Amino acid sequence: MSNLLKGNFSTKKPVADISNEQETLEQRFEKEALKKLGGSIAFVAKQEVLWGDENTSQDDQ
Amino acid sequence: MAKILFINPVVREEDDPRHVPYGIALLAAIAMRDGHQVQVYDENAWRKGSEVLEQVFNADHWDVIALGGITTAYGSIKSIVKKARIICPHALIVLGGGVLTSLPREMMGFLPEVDVGVIGEGFITFPDILQKVDAQKADWQNIDGTISRTKNDGLVISSQRALLDELDSLPYPAWDLFPLEEVYFPNSQVLFSEEGMLAQRRLDINASYGCSLVCRYCYHLGIAGDMKYETDHHNELQVSFDQPGNYSRTIRYHSPEYIVGMVKHAHEKYNLDFIGFLDENLMTMDQYSKRTWLKEICRLWIENGLQPACIHDDIEHDENCKGIHWSGTSHATLCNPETLKIMREAGCSHLIYGYESFSPHVMKTIGKGATPKTNMRSFFWTLESGIRPIPNQIIGFPNEDFQAIYENMQAWKKLGIVVKPFFATPYPGSEWFTVYRQWIEEQYEGDLEKYILDLGDATRITAVISHNFNAVELLGLRDLMMNFDYKRIEEYEQYWRKNHNIPDGAPSTIFQAPVNNASQKTGNIRLANGTTGSR
Ligand code: B12
Repeated sequence: MSNLLKGNFSTKKPVADISNEQETLEQRFEKEALKKLGGSIAFVAKQEVLWGDENTSQDDQ
Repeated sequence: MAKILFINPVVREEDDPRHVPYGIALLAAIAMRDGHQVQVYDENAWRKGSEVLEQVFNADHWDVIALGGITTAYGSIKSIVKKARIICPHALIVLGGGVLTSLPREMMGFLPEVDVGVIGEGFITFPDILQKVDAQKADWQNIDGTISRTKNDGLVISSQRALLDELDSLPYPAWDLFPLEEVYFPNSQVLFSEEGMLAQRRLDINASYGCSLVCRYCYHLGIAGDMKYETDHHNELQVSFDQPGNYSRTIRYHSPEYIVGMVKHAHEKYNLDFIGFLDENLMTMDQYSKRTWLKEICRLWIENGLQPACIHDDIEHDENCKGIHWSGTSHATLCNPETLKIMREAGCSHLIYGYESFSPHVMKTIGKGATPKTNMRSFFWTLESGIRPIPNQIIGFPNEDFQAIYENMQAWKKLGIVVKPFFATPYPGSEWFTVYRQWIEEQYEGDLEKYILDLGDATRITAVISHNFNAVELLGLRDLMMNFDYKRIEEYEQYWRKNHNIPDGAPSTIFQAPVNNASQKTGNIRLANGTTGSR
C-alpha cells in the first residue's frame, strides 16, 4: 500500500501509486525547465552595496 | 465520529511544493484531538493526477471532504470538488480558507458541489460542523462563520464567527499527516540566504495573526480582524474587507513559550535545521508587544538550545551546523537595529521586506507606513545585523509613472538589489480589488471566474490597475528596468508623452492618486485582549 494517504486509521481500500510511471521523459524535462522560468527574484548583491551614503544607515537613526 | 478526508489542492504548479498547508494541518490536528477519523491527501505535494485522486475518494466512505487554500488554488479546488461530488455523492463537501472567504457568495455560485463554506477562521467553525455531522444534523446556518445552501437553492450566511482569543489552546499542526520525508524535506531549500539555501529539514510555523498595516494590495484571509459583515440593500449579509478610510484589525500572537515549545518539539521529532515564520509581519507583532515578543522568542530560542552552532561559535555556516536558522517578514519602519541584532543572535538568516517601491509619491498612496528613507534605513540595519534583507518590489501601482520607474532603478543600483518586481495585482479581499472590481471584471469580459482562474504569482501580469500603463507597457518596462536600460525607457517616455499629450517637464501621469496620510493607519485596531490601540 502506498503512503499517499496519511491519517489516524486504515482506510477500507488502499490507494495505489500509479501515476509515476506515466510521466514521460519529455514531461519531466518540461516541468523542470518551467521551474527555472517561473517565480520571483529578489536578493541583494552584497558586493555592490554602496555603504555610507547620506540617505542610509546611521544618519537616519 | 466523523470520517474526514482533507485535501490540500495544488498551488503554484510551476514550482516544487515547499509548504505544508499550516491551516489544514491545524484543522486536522483539531479534528483528531476531538476523536474524529482523519486522512489527508496532499494533492499539492504528490501531484499524482486524477486517477490517484479517484482512488482516494473511493478509499473509504467519507462523511466529510474538507479542502481550502488561497485564491490561486481555485482552479485545482474546482476540479477536485467536481470529482468528489460524483464519486462521493453523500459526503459533505466543506470549503474554507482565503479562496472562499474573500468572495463567499460568488464561490458558492461557481462551485455548486460545495455544501458548506467556512468564512474566515476555521478553528471553532470546523469542529462545530463535525459535531453536527456526528449528530446527523444539517442546520449549518446555526453555526457561526458559515455559508450554506437553502432548500430553494439560495445561500445563507450565518453570523460572523468570533476570532479565537486563546491561540495557545491550539494543538500543534498534524505534520505527520503530510509527506515530510517524501516531499517537503527534500524541498526545504529557500534561495533567500546562504542558510536557507543549505536547509535540508525545514518546516514553517505561524506564530501570529494580523497586521496593523493597511497596504492597499493586501488581503488577510478574514483571520486578522480585517473582515466585516454588512447588510446590503436587499437585506442580505455580505462580507467586506478593507475599503478606503475603513479598516479594522485584530492583533493576536502565540506566547513565546508556545512558539519555542513547538519548535523544540518539532526539532526533537524531525531533526529540523530551518524554520520559516509564515506570519504576515513579525515586526508589527513586536511593536504591539511593546518590543517584548521577538526578544523573548529569541531568548527562549537560545535557552532551549536552538541557536545555530555557527552563530554560537562564530564560524562559517555549513550543512553540518547544529541548531535552527529561521526567517520571516519584517517592516521597514517598524524594525530597529537592536531587535535585528537579537534576532540574528538567535539564528535569523533572512527577512522579507515588502519595500514595494522607492518612489516617494507612490509610497504615499499604498498604506504601508514606510517611505523610501525608512526602506533604505532598514535595508542597511538588516545587513549590518548579519541578516539578509529580501527587498520585494512591485510595479504597476495605480499612479506608477516614469519618475517612479527611474527612482526605483536608481535605488536598486545603489543598494545592489537584483529584483524581478511583482506586478501590482488586485487579489480578491484587497482594497484594490474592492475599489477596482468593475475595471478588473471588464478586463475579463465581465467574467470574475475567468479572472480568478488567471491569478497566480504576481510575477505574471493579470488585471492591470495602473492608470498610466497597460499590460504590454508594464511588461516591457519591467524588463527594461531589470536591465537598467535608461535609454530605451527614456525613448519610450517621449513616445508616451506625445500619445498622452503631456509636455516635457510635466509629471508623467494622467492620474492623480488620492493621498490621505491619516488613512495610512488603521483607525480601528483591536488587540486580542479586547483593548484598542493605534500605531
Ligand atoms: C504559505 C503561504 C503561501 C504558500 C502556499 C500556501 C498553501 N499551501 O496554500 C505559497 C508560498 C505557495 C504562497 C504563494 C502565494 N501567496 Co501566499 N501565503 C502564505 C502565508 C505566508 C501563510 C498561509 C498560512 O499558512 N497561514 C496561516 C494559516 C493558519 O491560515 P490558513 O491556511 O488561511 O487557514 C485558516 C483559514 O483560512 C481557514 N482555512 C484554511 N483552509 C481551510 C480548509 C478548510 C476545510 C476549512 C474549514 C478552513 C480552512 O482555517 C484556518 C484556521 O483558521 C500567507 C500569509 C499568512 N500569514 O497567512 C500568505 C498569503 C495566503 N498569500 C498570499 C499571496 C498574495 C500569495 C501570492 C499570490 C503572492 C505572490 N508572490 O504572487 C502567491 C500565489 C502563488 C501561486 N502561483 O498560486 C496572500 C493572500 C492570497 C489570497 N488572495 O488568497 C497572503 C494572505 C499573504 C498576504 N497577506 O498578502 N503563499
